[in-house]
Amino acid sequence: MTQTETAAKKRTAAKAKAGSDEPAIQEPKKAAKPAGKKKSGLAFPFTAIVGQEEMKLSLILNIIDPRIGGVLVMGHRGTGKSTTVRALAEVLPFIDRVKDDIYNRTPDQYLEGEDARKGRKAIDPESIRTEKIPVPVVDLPLGATEDRVCGTIDIEQALTSGVKAFEPGLLAQANRGFLYIDEVNLLDDHLVDVLLDVAASGKNVVEREGISIRHPARFVLVGSGNPEEGELRPQLLDRFGLHARIITILDVAKRVDIVKRRREFDEDPDAFMKKYNREQLKLQKKIQQAKDLLPQVTMDDSVLTDIARLCMNLGIDGHRGELTITRTAHAHAAFMGDKEVTMRHVRDVAGLCLRHRLRKDPLETLDAGEKIEREIAKVLGEAEAV
Amino acid sequence: MIAFTDIVGMDLAKQALMLLAVDPSLGGVVIPSAVGSGKSTLARAFSGILPEGTPFVELPLNVTEDRLIGGVDLEATLASGVRVVQHGVLSKAHGGVLYVDSLSLLDSSAVSHIMDAMSRGEVLVEREGLSEVHPANFMLVGTYDPSDGEVRMGLLDRIGIIVPFTAQNDFRARKKIVNTVLGKRDAEDTQDELNMLKGLIQAAREQLPHVSITSEQVQALIQTALSLGVEGNRSDIFTVRAALASAALAQRSDVEEEDMKLAIKIVLIPRATRMPEREAEEMPPQEEPPPPEEPEAEDEEAPADTPDSDAESDEEQKDTPDMIEELMMDAIETELPDNILNISLASKKKAKSGSRGEALNNRRGRFVRAQPGEMRSGKVALIPTLISAAPWQETRRRDKKMAGRPKTALIISKDDVKIKRFRDKSGTLFIFMVDASGSMALNRMRQAKGAVSSLLQNAYVHRDQVSLISFRGKQAQVLLPPSQSVDRAKRELDVLPTGGGTPLASALYLGWETAKQARTKGISQIMFVLITDGRGNIGLQAAFDPDAVKPSKEDLEKEIEALSGSICADGIAAIVVDTQMNYLSRGEAPKLAQKLGGRYFYLPNAKAEQIVEAALSF
Repeated sequence: MTQTETAAKKRTAAKAKAGSDEPAIQEPKKAAKPAGKKKSGLAFPFTAIVGQEEMKLSLILNIIDPRIGGVLVMGHRGTGKSTTVRALAEVLPFIDRVKDDIYNRTPDQYLEGEDARKGRKAIDPESIRTEKIPVPVVDLPLGATEDRVCGTIDIEQALTSGVKAFEPGLLAQANRGFLYIDEVNLLDDHLVDVLLDVAASGKNVVEREGISIRHPARFVLVGSGNPEEGELRPQLLDRFGLHARIITILDVAKRVDIVKRRREFDEDPDAFMKKYNREQLKLQKKIQQAKDLLPQVTMDDSVLTDIARLCMNLGIDGHRGELTITRTAHAHAAFMGDKEVTMRHVRDVAGLCLRHRLRKDPLETLDAGEKIEREIAKVLGEAEAV
Repeated sequence: MIAFTDIVGMDLAKQALMLLAVDPSLGGVVIPSAVGSGKSTLARAFSGILPEGTPFVELPLNVTEDRLIGGVDLEATLASGVRVVQHGVLSKAHGGVLYVDSLSLLDSSAVSHIMDAMSRGEVLVEREGLSEVHPANFMLVGTYDPSDGEVRMGLLDRIGIIVPFTAQNDFRARKKIVNTVLGKRDAEDTQDELNMLKGLIQAAREQLPHVSITSEQVQALIQTALSLGVEGNRSDIFTVRAALASAALAQRSDVEEEDMKLAIKIVLIPRATRMPEREAEEMPPQEEPPPPEEPEAEDEEAPADTPDSDAESDEEQKDTPDMIEELMMDAIETELPDNILNISLASKKKAKSGSRGEALNNRRGRFVRAQPGEMRSGKVALIPTLISAAPWQETRRRDKKMAGRPKTALIISKDDVKIKRFRDKSGTLFIFMVDASGSMALNRMRQAKGAVSSLLQNAYVHRDQVSLISFRGKQAQVLLPPSQSVDRAKRELDVLPTGGGTPLASALYLGWETAKQARTKGISQIMFVLITDGRGNIGLQAAFDPDAVKPSKEDLEKEIEALSGSICADGIAAIVVDTQMNYLSRGEAPKLAQKLGGRYFYLPNAKAEQIVEAALSF
């Protein structure tokens, strides 16, 4: 929060400094894709990925309820982490946004944002046209510079016409979508700072080069990495709603299957996509149905009590643990087509929600997942049975 | 340039490169080889057997981030007033070869970018106002000297073929042969041979789609990967591709045993984290395989027979024809012992020849952001400078003082100038050297382990790294290479052998080497944390020559003194933590601290936290 405050202060200071000959700030009207950016080749279909159910489930649950807070996928090299995340785009539902809006805003957000800017006429809500776009998935590469992440002045416009136009960054593109960072544990500190700030406030505040812009930036943060390459900053770790762990598949038959599918895909991507088209559509539909069902899903107070007891027994600080389990269990129930959350749903997702929230004890030998499972059994009174 | 066909020996490396030429989707070839052996000759000759016009880009070790990824072409941008994009080295290698000499010395941010490009097949440029995607589908050919340090596993994982390190790779001796042979041959012969080879590769490329591999064969390869404890699934795919390419080179339409053997040799074995014995298939796969970095150290101690072999793997055995398994085992057995010997040989040679000259000091850091500053006080960040000048151009043009200037000229005032600010990302590397000899060893090791874990828990704050060297018996050993990972430290420090002599000199030497390697990777601050009573009784020679005469006390002291002096001169900080009871001490530890120009801490029954505190206080 303090960072937001500092930003706000800077902003006031910047305004005070601005002289009378300050060139006008103008926003680009179109959400035109920058030149040279093109869609990269076909992604391996999500439904053709063998195993790694934990990761797939956590991604799907985040589509159903983006408030879960994203997912961190950590695990062995070469286990399909980034393949899976990049495959996600194909099964995502559509959202409505104001036509050509660079921030992917809903009409309400648009009105709020535009009205807040002084010196403008009120916008007639009737005049706003919307369009359907697929939920955006934005890739944040490690080498990105801060100006491209947050957005900056459009230098071409500035040089050629002397107009200060804002060129939105990746955070703007990711609004209401997914922001994916591969090798997230290697991300530079100053970018982590930016992300933490934005993730906490849901807004991106740009105060640089004489530009002052504030726009909504709510996204599902998806990170992946190999824990052997380095640790993640705890504040960032805490931001992730779920933590999926991924290990090398040791089942020979499954591995043969992986190799086969990969070869098939490499040989003829189009035919391969076609083969999985039906399953892809089926999954997409199932996700959309779960999204529609979600508001109707209820949870009994007794389940909530059990969740709270579980978190307490595990010694988890704060309330983010309970909150995440509750939301995730709701999404999971919706995905299974159930209208009522039970401890069965909770059990399925507890590991995902809590694994990274346990206190780290360097001498602890028990796997976090096992520890959580044991506590659930206790809460459910199954301790003897286990 | 020496042609590919003129190079004698290096058969395996040559075979590997040919497979890559046949199937570039193998990702690349890594050739570990001793320094100065001319390994780059082979890599460069590789371009000679590729189709005409295939790009061959050599990556300089000191490449900057914007040259690697791409960015704004400053001159062209200034001249035209429109942003002009300059492609980076990664995208220039698209469709061809990216060659890196001394792969292990490449700094970690460059490695990350290469890894990223390899997994995407393209480069995302999100820098300095640019947002572009450049294709970057290349084969990575890397050579390195294993004694310079390890290549990051994440990168190796994306490279299909790793040529096992054998004496064969050291072709210093063979260079002579090359030269004599060259003298006698005429250029025409060479050209003919090259053309033939090119034709062969072209034919193999055409054959490749027609080669088939049976399910049983795929299964056998995967089974082998499992029993070797190879991490991840990528290697499965690479092994299959290598076997197919090998069959294609032989103009066959079916994969045969020799193809599989070759694939196992150059894809799987170098990634092995454990060595199966004859009965190895009955071993249930381990949950957490030991690290692949040091196969030479793991092998003797690897738990070769876990008692609980089960029925499940027996079943799997039935599925795989016995003959294939036999062959797999042959491939493994004939290849392995040699390599292990040779890896340790490399470090021996190195150690005797002494220092490798001064450590590179490339503290370039990372371009983080631009800030206002004097033109001369640093590197000018042009784009931010232009950005800050741009909006004012019209106002300034109207200014009378500037009336004489041509209309198109940019008017940049002093206030606009922004300079680049770099950040040295790395923190401090703490190298723990723990005396694992004698009776108190167990206790010291436990404390050191606790201290390592505790330092790592907080390492993210300063980007610190920790390494641990244990010394006992004949020589010191790196148990944990410089790392930031708690997981890895926990795993690698799980079993710590103790007892035996005290090879203090060997520990100092190894620590010094580790420090120098870290320096070349941009870590400037290094601190030794020695947990010992300072009573070394084994000389450096013992590590390399088991029959060496036991040096006298004076000699031992001289050795320590010389090493300490060099370490001190290299600006490495040191503390010595003495955990010995007072009445046993003969004052060696304080002396050691003095020689190292470091501080001495007397902490009997030290707790891990106290050691950390001492290390951080310095």
